[in-house]
Amino acid sequence: MSEPMAARDVFEVLAPGLLTTVQDVGRPGHRDEGVPLSGACDPVSMAVANRLAGNPPGAPVLECTLLGPDLLVLSDVTIAIAGADLGATAQPSGRRLSPGQAHHLVAGERLSMPGSGHARGCRAYLAVAGGVDVPLVLGSRSTSLVGGFGGLEGRALRTGDRLAAGAFAPKAVPDDATAGGTRLLLPHPDASVRVLPAPALSGLGEGAAALDALCDATWGVSPVSDRRGLRLVGPPMPPAAPSDGGSHGVIPGTIQLTPDGTPIVLLADAGTTGGYPVIAVVVSVDLDIVGQARPGGTLRFQAVDLASARRALVELRRTLAG
Amino acid sequence: MITLPPARILPFGDAAIIIEVAAHAGYSATQTVNALNRELSVRLIGRAGWERPVPGATTLLIPIDPIEPGVEAAIVEVTRWLDGWTRPGEDDPVHESGPIVEIPVRYGGQEGPDLAEVARGIGLTPAEVIELHTGTIYTVAFSGFIPGFAYLGPLPPRLVLPRRDTPRPRVPAGSVAIAGPQTAVYPVDSPGGWWLIGRTHVPIWDPLRTPPAVIRAGLRVKFTSR
Repeated sequence: MSEPMAARDVFEVLAPGLLTTVQDVGRPGHRDEGVPLSGACDPVSMAVANRLAGNPPGAPVLECTLLGPDLLVLSDVTIAIAGADLGATAQPSGRRLSPGQAHHLVAGERLSMPGSGHARGCRAYLAVAGGVDVPLVLGSRSTSLVGGFGGLEGRALRTGDRLAAGAFAPKAVPDDATAGGTRLLLPHPDASVRVLPAPALSGLGEGAAALDALCDATWGVSPVSDRRGLRLVGPPMPPAAPSDGGSHGVIPGTIQLTPDGTPIVLLADAGTTGGYPVIAVVVSVDLDIVGQARPGGTLRFQAVDLASARRALVELRRTLAG
Repeated sequence: MITLPPARILPFGDAAIIIEVAAHAGYSATQTVNALNRELSVRLIGRAGWERPVPGATTLLIPIDPIEPGVEAAIVEVTRWLDGWTRPGEDDPVHESGPIVEIPVRYGGQEGPDLAEVARGIGLTPAEVIELHTGTIYTVAFSGFIPGFAYLGPLPPRLVLPRRDTPRPRVPAGSVAIAGPQTAVYPVDSPGGWWLIGRTHVPIWDPLRTPPAVIRAGLRVKFTSR
């Protein structure tokens, strides 16, 4: 992650899209100072896009949300897209830039990602051969929107920004490089989110009832959701006992219950500590499902045990490495 | 050797474990959390798959890699470490430990717009509020909310009051604030519902600096009026 980068401008931002940020694997190691993890909400799609572009799996990418950017290509570049299909094309030819495949763009072309109301998922990951070149801040190149640092000046892309490719790509990629299985493109639309029970901390007496209620219902994803968390809309939840223990550390995937009975699934930009009762924690291997949950879509949850969570993650890592 | 009644070491999903050292939040719990954090931080330096512990009011959360070490092995290992760990007692000198960071504050006026209302609300003069706030050495309990925001306590009981009814959409960086039994300095401009009694011009948060936060776990803080 620390190799020097030979910067080369590859894109000028003609339109930034709804929320396009530079992300990588995030910023671990500073959570005790209140620094959110950040990083890609769907780490699997980020890794797939990077692999297709010849990059290491955690190289910095553009995370594009619902409505992607319009980018003018300044110099010839290889890109790959994974995650949600936001209808990317190269203009003026109209050539389709399908997810799950490497594409070569030439200077003067325009990459357009208009979004699609029918797309599964809500986040597309655009990898550029060499990675997106932004400075390393606290060990990561990811954007901390909450902290206003990292990525491109700590903010989402704006019209007129220029993006450079770095020196991350050790491998040339063939024109037709494609992703292996469909599992690697997006989670299955009917996939349940696997969760583990909340830790039995003092004062959280209602954990089991809340977990059952969570897993029994189909939940809507509120439009008031962002990179910090998903708010779930569904049946009334049994009230959770207020905690005597005060705030404690939380991680992405933690499901909290707010005082008004709304479950919140924490995502990459969530605060590092929280005081709401925890009712369950999403297993690591399924963070991509919640990270791709589309506002207005639905989610279901399924309780599992640690052993099966571990088996599933081992298998995913093997697939990604293969 | 004292084990930690009621210390419990539990899985927090598959990517963290959490150690609970007390059932109730308070100064005693903060002291134990800080002492345990010092102990664990030393043990965890350079260990692949383990992240620095994240203190809470009564807990330490340790993010880990779900496969290596994995939650179960991590719990076994931390349990072994804690078996040989002596918990600081109530009158242990640990209560007085931790370097003190001095933060100069301009109280009241435009930089502490709530000072007068706070004073009225608790039946003191603004000068008495300043005297109480500067007369205490605070301990960092934990950080959160936004990067570099450290919860400090305990406040002198006379200064304890609920949050403002209506949060401000923008609290300027450096604002020194109180709410409940805690005080804090806002590291960056952000929304906030605490009472603003002053402001410091010490840059308490800079992500380009190591460490980025001036006020962090293991330290104590004394505010001075200038």
